[in-house]
Amino acid sequence: MTQTRRAFLGTASAAGLASALPLKLSAQDALQMALVTPSPTADVGWSHTLVEGASAAAEAVGGELSVLENIAEGPDADRIMQRAAANGAGFVILGSFGYMNGGLQLAQRYPQVSVLHASGYQVAPNFSPFAAKYYQGTYLMGMAAAALSKSGKIGSVSAFAIPELITSVNAFALGAQAINPEIEVSVVWVNSWFDPASEREAAQALISQGCDVMFSNAQDTPSVIALAEEAGVYACNLNSSMQSYAPNYYLGVVGTDWAPFFTAQARAHLEGTFEGANYYLGIADEVVYVDDWNGDIPSEVMGRIDDRLAAIGAGEFNPFTGPLVDQAGETRIPEGTTMTDQEIQGMDWHVAGVTTPLPS
Amino acid sequence: MQFDLIRRDRASISMALLAPLLALLATGLVSWAIFAAIGTPAGLALWTMAASPFTNWYDFSEVLLKMAPLLLIAQGLAIGFRARVFNIGAEGQLILGAIFASALPVWFPGATSPLLWPAMMVAGMAGGAFWAGIAAFWRTRLNANEILVTLMLSLIAVQVLNWLLLGPWKDPAGFNFPQTAMFQAQALLPGLLPGTRVNIALLFASVASVAAYILMQRGVAGYRLVVTGTAPRAAGYAGFSAARGVWLSLLISGAAAGLAGAAEVAGPLGQLQRSVSQGYGFAAIIVAYLGGLHPLGIVVSSLVMSALYIGGDNAAVFADLPQAAVRVVQGLLLTFYLIAATLVRYRIVRARVAPA
Repeated sequence: MTQTRRAFLGTASAAGLASALPLKLSAQDALQMALVTPSPTADVGWSHTLVEGASAAAEAVGGELSVLENIAEGPDADRIMQRAAANGAGFVILGSFGYMNGGLQLAQRYPQVSVLHASGYQVAPNFSPFAAKYYQGTYLMGMAAAALSKSGKIGSVSAFAIPELITSVNAFALGAQAINPEIEVSVVWVNSWFDPASEREAAQALISQGCDVMFSNAQDTPSVIALAEEAGVYACNLNSSMQSYAPNYYLGVVGTDWAPFFTAQARAHLEGTFEGANYYLGIADEVVYVDDWNGDIPSEVMGRIDDRLAAIGAGEFNPFTGPLVDQAGETRIPEGTTMTDQEIQGMDWHVAGVTTPLPS
Repeated sequence: MQFDLIRRDRASISMALLAPLLALLATGLVSWAIFAAIGTPAGLALWTMAASPFTNWYDFSEVLLKMAPLLLIAQGLAIGFRARVFNIGAEGQLILGAIFASALPVWFPGATSPLLWPAMMVAGMAGGAFWAGIAAFWRTRLNANEILVTLMLSLIAVQVLNWLLLGPWKDPAGFNFPQTAMFQAQALLPGLLPGTRVNIALLFASVASVAAYILMQRGVAGYRLVVTGTAPRAAGYAGFSAARGVWLSLLISGAAAGLAGAAEVAGPLGQLQRSVSQGYGFAAIIVAYLGGLHPLGIVVSSLVMSALYIGGDNAAVFADLPQAAVRVVQGLLLTFYLIAATLVRYRIVRARVAPA
């Protein structure tokens, strides 16, 4: 690692001046890891789970982790990840889709650095995108939501209309329809990962439209959950448990645990076996889990949820199995056909039952 | 007990030059205390912030890269500020400039003309001037406050950007992510310093600085502009049009911000995306005032501000300094500078309480 930094600075500047630059020095053999996240590391949410996973991985391989939080996507992020690599980081985790182009350049410039990139689709020999199969968990959450909804209307406050979150809403709706075929799901896209004010407003609007269960789809703040508790409607969310913000009305969490994946990848990097690949990880990989179920869910429904959970984990059931009909009533996936991972990761249409049209 | 600010008979020139240095010193001291309080290695963090941008070529080139939009926008804003036309919405004008410039490569992805990027720059200036012109129109027609109009137009600009990126301009191969396709090579600004990301936007900013200097320090037009803002009635008697001053101020500052936006999408970004701005439009207001609204001062303040950003990012990498702490340092710098600048011109006097 030290070699890298010297080589970099040697070409980049007069050696005498460069040696004046104070660099964080550490044991030469400890793996330097860097995690770049788009939002502040809060007590809950996406960045929080990434930090937990990366810290666990650093501990497992005896590495040192620096967390670079709240880094806006764009030229600044590009520079910061370059600096991290120049500073000796050998294993870099990029926590947002928007870091993709900068991350690819980083991977090209530093072939000995291994890069994991969240939610992207580009692969390079030392650059692997990773994403969670949230849809496996949101299907189960949708079943619970339908069982508790009296109005038959469910609302989702969602971050960005990207396939990852379109599929989490779709599977949520499909799970809800498994309990109540008439259920309707409305979506508000807030176009931000971290915007408590807009998220609250969106949730308020959905509740006043009659939605009595909320699905907080990829917010890094507990604003939707907290508002649901105030309004007395059930709410669930992604990534990490927000039960403490809604002790009475918390429906459950579709959580992500990145520790096993990050640890395995860091080990592979140290052993020289890191290979660029697309990692799409779910319940069977122990990355996605469901937890903190509300006690109000009828035990009959809870039993069906447990059966489905086991079937998904065993690979016997996939929510995206035909017949699937889109919002226009057209059959997209015929009976007996299951969407491939690739198709799911590129899904850009809503299933029938989601009432809000996709922004286009 | 009450204190009053009394204007000094004569502001000392040496104190005026010393004020920014004192502000820097005070910022350093308070930042050191804050860093120490939050448990980061304060000395290392401060040293990294202050020195790292200048001690190696890579970081210095990044300082120059970031300096270009700040300098360009601040020069434009300062002209308006001296004429008492407060354009607070450079952020929105930058976004409109980026949108107008991006229209060309988005609509003509096969265009390979060497005139593509120059056309984008012109389009960007038009976009920024158009957005600022809306505020000028309402100010001159209805006397609508340009501070509010420009600021709120910035919020609208963000929504226009979101709409384009989520809808008609979305990269068809981009999995629904809100961004355009990457632009073709002819849509990108030529580099200025080989091996770095610095492009000729820095030249645009330099030319704008010289032009601002000639206009404001040497020209009659600049003098008229300042008079319409500072002494509107006198300007009226002299036959200077106040409406013209408003239009000129907003169009110039809007065009400068629009050009900066165009240079961002044709420069380090290479595409139109949500985070096109990084807050340059608002940071440039600080830069303009730190530079004393003087074209030469702004050159220095944009360099300092940009170095502070780069140094702050480095401190985050090397000394585990939270990003928020970097913003605190910038805020401290502006506050101390404003205090120092005020004390150069005014002295504090304990108000005499009239005997009862």
